[in-house]
Amino acid sequence: MTHPNDISKIIVRIAEIMIDELKLEDVTPETFDPEIDLIDEVGIDSMDLATIALVLRDEYGIVIDEDDYPKLNNIRLIAEYIQKRVDEGKQG
Amino acid sequence: MKTISSLLDAEWHERYQSISKLNIRSSIYDVTNRCNLRCKGCFFFSSGENNVVEEMDVGRWVRFVDNEKKRGVNLAILIGGEPTLCLDRVEAFYRRMPTFCATNGIIRVPRERFPHMMVGISVWGDEEDERLLRGKDTFSISRKNYEGDPHAYYLYTITPKQIGKSERIIRKIRDAGLKVHMQLLSNDEAVDGFSWKDAELKDIRSEMDDLLEQYPGTVISSKYYHEIITTGKMGDRRFGWEECPSVSEPMDHRDRPQRRLIGFIRWASDLKTIYRCCTSQTRDCSTCKDGAAHMSWVMVNKRAHMDSPEHLQGWIEVYEMFARLYQFIPW
Repeated sequence: MTHPNDISKIIVRIAEIMIDELKLEDVTPETFDPEIDLIDEVGIDSMDLATIALVLRDEYGIVIDEDDYPKLNNIRLIAEYIQKRVDEGKQG
Repeated sequence: MKTISSLLDAEWHERYQSISKLNIRSSIYDVTNRCNLRCKGCFFFSSGENNVVEEMDVGRWVRFVDNEKKRGVNLAILIGGEPTLCLDRVEAFYRRMPTFCATNGIIRVPRERFPHMMVGISVWGDEEDERLLRGKDTFSISRKNYEGDPHAYYLYTITPKQIGKSERIIRKIRDAGLKVHMQLLSNDEAVDGFSWKDAELKDIRSEMDDLLEQYPGTVISSKYYHEIITTGKMGDRRFGWEECPSVSEPMDHRDRPQRRLIGFIRWASDLKTIYRCCTSQTRDCSTCKDGAAHMSWVMVNKRAHMDSPEHLQGWIEVYEMFARLYQFIPW
């Protein structure tokens, strides 16, 4: 399991998962812009997000609520969401 | 990495943005088992799907619709039987979520009760086909019932016998002040002369393209949709059971992960039975011509269309067409 103590590591890991799961071409985890709009630019839809959410659940032990998908429209926001949820889990 | 803005100019990008976040979650509901017609080729009767025991308690329909909303459904597509025979059940949906009602148009939906409900009126071929397949010329009746209605359109099911003759039907629909969406007959009861041959599909594709150019204010369609529905092919993929996006989610046990409609279910009028897909469970998927299933097939495969500007524009046009037909964006 990745220890989500470094937001930049989470960002790269999410990019890696997206590239692998969605078969994205001409991009690497390092060159994937964490600010790029996943829906309006990358063309990801809610089914893609559900696929990614399943992998993130297994990796970080957190469930991303489907109602939160519209807010998570770039990789940085997803990474911050994961970090926050993991921190809440530790405190709880 | 190819991005949306690298593929589209400003005008197309704006069109993309007007649909990209609609997040349409539809399900289909048989409102009743009864119909005021018995059409040859109607999958509902040929497959025996009319044999469940209808839920008669409107209160249970209301609670059912509330649960569907909680499940995330934001578009109810009402079919039947003939939904207008049970307007109290139709109202249970209409008061609670965006609702589309398919009808043969013999009974007019009362607009004082359903002012903005989108109504899709079926017409099969021309008057001669209608008499042969449906027992009467419903087109003449439905035109009078819905003339000038801004929330109604014709679902024109083209039969192989219509090749070279469809323009007259489109013109009559235009003259009645209505819109039309075209689809192809799936000959579920193998009526002689009504199954498509490859050459006929090629001819009707060309004819549909011409109709779209000739009647742009009347025909709600796209050339890419015509290609998909007549060839059954999207790139190197062929439509069929393995590809169909409109399989009821609880019954989707296909081996490999599918691009599919999230949460889609087709419910029977007992509100318990779930059917396999949006059409008949006895239909051969390899010859299915269901228009909505083919549109959805394109819609759930957006990234497969991000290989060229033309391909992505085709995807946008199909999505816009679906969104117009179900009132998510204006005509």
